Amino acid sequence: MAFLDNSGDIILDAVLTDAGRKRLARGDGTFKVTKYAFGDDEIDYSSYNAFHDSGSAYFDLEILQTPVLEAFTNNASSLKSKLITLTNNNLLFLPEMVLNQVGDLTQMAASSSIGAGIFLAAVDLDTETALGAISNLKYLRGDQTSDNTVPYVRVDQGLDTDKLSPTNRLSSELTERQYMIQMDNRLGMLVDAFTQTQGTVSFVDDDQIATYYLTQGVGQYIKDCLVGPLTGTGNVGSGKTESDGNELLAGPRGTKLRFGLKSSSNLKASDYLFDTIGQGTVTDANAVDYKALDTTIKIIGITTGYSIDIPVRYLKKTT
Amino acid sequence: MANSFKTLQGEDTATTRTLLHEAIPITGTIVSGTYVDDANIKTFSHGMYEAVYDYPYLSSSANHIFDVTAGYSADWFGSSSANTQNAKKINIYNQMAQVLVGYDTGSQIQEFDADGSTSTSTDKMQACIFVNFARLLVKDEIKKNSFRLSLATSASALHGDANRGILKTIGDYGAQTDYLTNSPAGEYGLLYTSSDGDAGEMIAGHVYYQAGIAVITSSFFSGAFGQLSASAGYYVGKDGISNALTGTTISEIANGFRFTVDDISFNNTTELNSTIYFCRANNTEFNYSANPTYLSSSEIRVKGQNPAADPVSYITTVGLYSPDNELLAVAKLSEPLKKSPSNELTLRVRLDY
Repeated sequence: MAFLDNSGDIILDAVLTDAGRKRLARGDGTFKVTKYAFGDDEIDYSSYNAFHDSGSAYFDLEILQTPVLEAFTNNASSLKSKLITLTNNNLLFLPEMVLNQVGDLTQMAASSSIGAGIFLAAVDLDTETALGAISNLKYLRGDQTSDNTVPYVRVDQGLDTDKLSPTNRLSSELTERQYMIQMDNRLGMLVDAFTQTQGTVSFVDDDQIATYYLTQGVGQYIKDCLVGPLTGTGNVGSGKTESDGNELLAGPRGTKLRFGLKSSSNLKASDYLFDTIGQGTVTDANAVDYKALDTTIKIIGITTGYSIDIPVRYLKKTT
Repeated sequence: MANSFKTLQGEDTATTRTLLHEAIPITGTIVSGTYVDDANIKTFSHGMYEAVYDYPYLSSSANHIFDVTAGYSADWFGSSSANTQNAKKINIYNQMAQVLVGYDTGSQIQEFDADGSTSTSTDKMQACIFVNFARLLVKDEIKKNSFRLSLATSASALHGDANRGILKTIGDYGAQTDYLTNSPAGEYGLLYTSSDGDAGEMIAGHVYYQAGIAVITSSFFSGAFGQLSASAGYYVGKDGISNALTGTTISEIANGFRFTVDDISFNNTTELNSTIYFCRANNTEFNYSANPTYLSSSEIRVKGQNPAADPVSYITTVGLYSPDNELLAVAKLSEPLKKSPSNELTLRVRLDY
């Protein structure tokens, strides 16, 4: 007789994250484990070969041999990708989140000596003026004193495939109605791109990462994408305004998330953060120097757990 | 509705208490002088005790093992203001007695009592050597019936064992079930010279389990005791520990004790309080992934273009979260664990405090 498989019940030793230790030390009852999630950060699903000649036992052979890293204690470094529970086992497609740069106001900087393939954010009016002198440069207005035609970041959620009709809306089970945004609180704040209202921080962790929860219907952050086939540069119908058109995804769409950035008073008033964690000085085509600081804004869909990182470079004109 | 979190129910959490034991062997050569110039022995200008390290203490690699000091009661027959460091020795004894024996009903410090019964007055341990073990070794407490101290009852040398005699081992034999609790510092056991100690062997001292302190009565030692005096060229206290207690410093007595030590061993105890979270993945749960590589043009790779194929995911990590979704603890698997609608998993995640 062979041995019975006893692998169904496994004991794991957990380590507290730095955020967990901080809450525990605070002693105010905020250390409370109420939920759990499973992650698969190390797994590269592209090595899954569903057509292996030797049969199904070989489909995931490489994945099962993937070595797993020890736990990180930095709370921001673990469980970047989570497993999802969906009731329907017959899904072939899952929605993605894609950075939408179709519209003029939602574009990263293109080829430029001060940054390319990254969102540029001017921290003050001086910098905005200097950047405005560069032809066709796309940048975010970190000062946030302008009107509601300021550039913003737009992320679309849905299926990016032409195998399904874009005239159908993404199923409600897969549509994101709430997003979580994590960004460095020392550098900037989230604002509603259309009202310039500053977002409400849910909490700031020990690494100064602020977490915002955005819900559809609260502010202008989240809107439904339009349905319909793409025509031209993303327009899906006539008479649509800038904020309603410019679709990107080829298949059924869910929601679109739009937000702007407001630079922190620390960045405006001081060079300290630029000098300590910045990338040094960059010079534009007009020979103007700027201090640069690169960071990442993480967007996570609450429903699907799908996430996307948005690169941002804060720029400050040197005096 | 898609979801990546699952809420813990009442039956998904359990608390446990586990006692962990480690064997702590301390070889006598480290104590009596392995290193040149006793570089692992730290003395202090106040002269109240000396500290023993496992490596020259100026090195960052050194770990504190224990402190040695000595003292006697003001009522001890040898106590005299003419004695070397008389006041300090009385202070040390009183400090230890205060903490380990406590006070009588008249708020007077009680002396150490050999059998632990303070009602008897003829078996007081009025002159003692104290070995205070570091918390690093003792952890929460010394395990009962694990303390053994081998030492020569007569020894005098600076380094080496040429003058050692009458090697004995004292231990808290039988203390697993036979220990005392009338100390303000917790539980303690009596140190006997053999396992049949209860049958009439001498009580050599006490070991206080939670405090991590061994108290050895001076009357355990016989014959020469003490270190070679550099100035006088003879063994100080060679006529007995009484001479050492009256005529030498606490540091010299501590040195003398170190030369007698052959071996020390005990098991420490660490009390682990754990919360176990039963993280259950039912057959219908956690079968998809938000991993960016899971999709190719929004299509699930593991399906092999077949919508009817079972979704598959691989677990490598379990995260425990607060109500506001902040990651509080992380547990990792040793290898990826396959999850599909055809299996169910319960991962027991233990968080120790």
